[in-house]
Amino acid sequence: MQLLEQAPDGVRLTVSTPAEDIRAAAAANDSLILEFETFRDGRGFSLAAVLRGQGYQGRLIAAGKILPDQVRHLRRCGFDAVELTPGADPAPWRRMDQVFSAAYQPASGDDLLVWRRRHAPAAEDAVALAARLNAQWADADADDLLRAVLDPALGRKAVAISSFGAEAAVLLHLISRVQPHLPVVFLETGQHFFQTLAYRRELTERLGLTEVRDVQPDAASLAASDPHGDLWRHAPDACCDLRKVQPLAKGLEGFDTRITGRKRYQNRQRATLDPFEAIDGVLAVNPLASWSAEQIETWLHDHQLPRHPLVEQGYPSIGCWPCTRAVEAGENARDGRWSGQEKTECGIHGRTLAPAC
Amino acid sequence: MYRYDEFDAALVRERIAEFSDQVNRRSSGELTEDEFKPLRLMNGVYLQLHAYMARIAVPYGVMNSRQMRQLAHVARTYDKGYGHFTTRTNIQFNWPALQDLPAILSDLADVEMHAIQTSGNCIRNVTTDVFAGVATDEIEDPRPWCEIIRQWSTIHPEFSFLPRKFKIAVIGAAKDRAAIRTHDVGLQIVCGEDGETAFRVFVGGGQGRLPHIAQEIASAVPGQSLLAYLTAILRAYNLLGRRDNIHKARIKILVAAVGIDAFREEVERQYEILRLEDLRIPEAELARIQAYFTPPPFADLPATSPAYDAARRLNAEFARFIRSNLREHKQAGYGAIIISLKPVDGVPGDITADQMEVVADLAERFSFDEVRASYEQNLVLPHVRLEDVHAVWSRLRKTGLATANADLATDIIACPGLDYCSLANARSIPVAQALSRQLADADLQEKLGPVRINISGCINACGHHHVGHIGVLGVDRKGEEYYQITVGGSPDEQAALGEIVGRSLPAEEVAPAIARALDRYLEIRAEGELFIDTVRRLGADPFRTAIYEPIDAAA
Repeated sequence: MQLLEQAPDGVRLTVSTPAEDIRAAAAANDSLILEFETFRDGRGFSLAAVLRGQGYQGRLIAAGKILPDQVRHLRRCGFDAVELTPGADPAPWRRMDQVFSAAYQPASGDDLLVWRRRHAPAAEDAVALAARLNAQWADADADDLLRAVLDPALGRKAVAISSFGAEAAVLLHLISRVQPHLPVVFLETGQHFFQTLAYRRELTERLGLTEVRDVQPDAASLAASDPHGDLWRHAPDACCDLRKVQPLAKGLEGFDTRITGRKRYQNRQRATLDPFEAIDGVLAVNPLASWSAEQIETWLHDHQLPRHPLVEQGYPSIGCWPCTRAVEAGENARDGRWSGQEKTECGIHGRTLAPAC
Repeated sequence: MYRYDEFDAALVRERIAEFSDQVNRRSSGELTEDEFKPLRLMNGVYLQLHAYMARIAVPYGVMNSRQMRQLAHVARTYDKGYGHFTTRTNIQFNWPALQDLPAILSDLADVEMHAIQTSGNCIRNVTTDVFAGVATDEIEDPRPWCEIIRQWSTIHPEFSFLPRKFKIAVIGAAKDRAAIRTHDVGLQIVCGEDGETAFRVFVGGGQGRLPHIAQEIASAVPGQSLLAYLTAILRAYNLLGRRDNIHKARIKILVAAVGIDAFREEVERQYEILRLEDLRIPEAELARIQAYFTPPPFADLPATSPAYDAARRLNAEFARFIRSNLREHKQAGYGAIIISLKPVDGVPGDITADQMEVVADLAERFSFDEVRASYEQNLVLPHVRLEDVHAVWSRLRKTGLATANADLATDIIACPGLDYCSLANARSIPVAQALSRQLADADLQEKLGPVRINISGCINACGHHHVGHIGVLGVDRKGEEYYQITVGGSPDEQAALGEIVGRSLPAEEVAPAIARALDRYLEIRAEGELFIDTVRRLGADPFRTAIYEPIDAAA
């Protein structure tokens, strides 16, 4: 669900508008704003459900008097976004949207339906599932891999991880085409280039991703272990652990499937990467595993996706500013990460792949 | 009975987390009281005259001994040692502290209970025939369908902010023991054309200020289409129901205003745009839920038991209890025992923590661990061996739960009234108590036979006065509590609204007036004729005369 400070200009109708007029407006516009005059008036939920039932594919934005406690209902009835009242704190809206892990009744969106999950084939362990999916989808393209893992019948609770780095736009673009409300976790380590933070905002907005979540290090741990913000100087592993590994573990709680943008060409450890793998009992999905650097470039170019501002300054792989440098001609893309150290992975992608971490 | 799986359990826990978040936002001022109110109501938390009240859901009235013991624990730990069963087969605690509510909800979640949607403008607890799975005339056990509706209606994204509350009842026999025609939607299981389960659907019933008997909207909706049809009804109501006047916001007003035929057409229009494949109950899920309600492992018993027959012969008090409180069971050698919560001078529906524990023990030992709440505010042990009935009765008797008055004149339905309720105009409990004293003579009650007397403390009709054979409604006359009497109401398949017999009476005159009406019935009834049938044959006039003649003469 996208939380908007202000809805874009467009047709704005109150929920007391007769259903036929709303239907006519929907037929003529690809974006509609439905205004609730009081949060108690639940007509808007049915109006959205009716519009979606009639096949309206455009954007539906809820506005007016709505409580954070209704955001989940709005989403499930077919709204894409909510316009918050000026100055509203988005935190309770995000919390209330995610408070339930499943729902009984079918509705818009891909919430995990209890009635379907109960009768899903007996839960396979992640290792068997990964093996099965690798065999089944051996020749599939990235779109299909994503669709396969997000198929509600599979009953997985999925999240994507993105660095909003140099090549991140490709995976996020694919996600925006398949399921724009898929939760996407961004590790806001507190040590990012400011260009990365700007790019995170720009790309999210541009792709219409509604569930990008900033996951931050625990304030108390930060104060205890890295009060001056210079832990990276003497203990980069500890720094990664504090600012990435631990927060990510928290951010991924409740998810059994994570989608990453890792690719085989990135480094030696990733050279044999499969599209599906099991990491500590969790299914990891790498839709771009087999892509080449050229394919990535072509995709970015063909779809006119915005580039990370540091790419043109010679940063082909971008992490936190202290541990990332530009690379010289002839170096590997990731040679600029933890340059001069044995370290090649931060550890968020699991021990199986990065024993050196 | 149904047991939670991991998904049901997670949802109830997540609901508590959600509610705690809401309570915190209310405390910090992020939510105004106006915003918080519907959220707390949907979690069963009312603000009453003297304290908060917590209403706990007992889905379609079915409980096990563990749950009953936990209710006793809640009554003892967080309340004043008792609880009150309601006409929606829920239980209310009248004195919890607000800060204890998360703990209460958590204790309840431990035994698969919750307070979700026991109030608010949403779909409320589904009710059913208290003799589901027991009654000999049943086509099919309605409880699996109740459970399906419970799940489907729980935290429904589209129907959590309806114009007004919405109540659904389901029965599995032609005989209506759940008052389905007084519900927003009443469902009666019938045999469909293909021999499969189907539902006769009634819509637009309701009591309150403007009472209506529900009308038939569909004669046989196939079971597989039930949720789609309910969705279409609720969607039509959510879009078209009035929101400008709280007294005219129930679906009954909409159906009456547009007419049942126009409403049916609107429902059919909505039905057509539903994605039916999504709303079809998966067959595996239906089978899974039905499996929880397969009959318990009954023993193969003869139709009667010598010990039971001997006890009836030898003990007149026990024999009376059998006559009034034991109901026939479809399984030979078993019976269903009604535990009356209407002792003489008692508060209808109230039960102490100690009594709850006795009931839990009896359910565990003698009734396959099952106990039911009925909308008449009694409890039922559904599956008791006839040879055990005497032991059960003895234990009930010791704990004050063996009142032999089920369905008789002192089996009074009454709302909490002005003793607790912030909406009430008059007290209900003292009137019910006076009436139970007036009619306490057990022989007289047996002679009178089944009479349903229902008392509401205000026009909202929680005490079902409109459909009592005799109804009593508390009204406020210039600051004084007065009571209006109706006769001829009926909650069953011949549902009817009672007729007001005359001007309202002060509290102390109510019980004698009703006693006179019942005496008149004994005088004028035909051989073997029930009270309600006499009213149907002769109208209200003889009873009006009986009630007012002496008062008018004295004036």
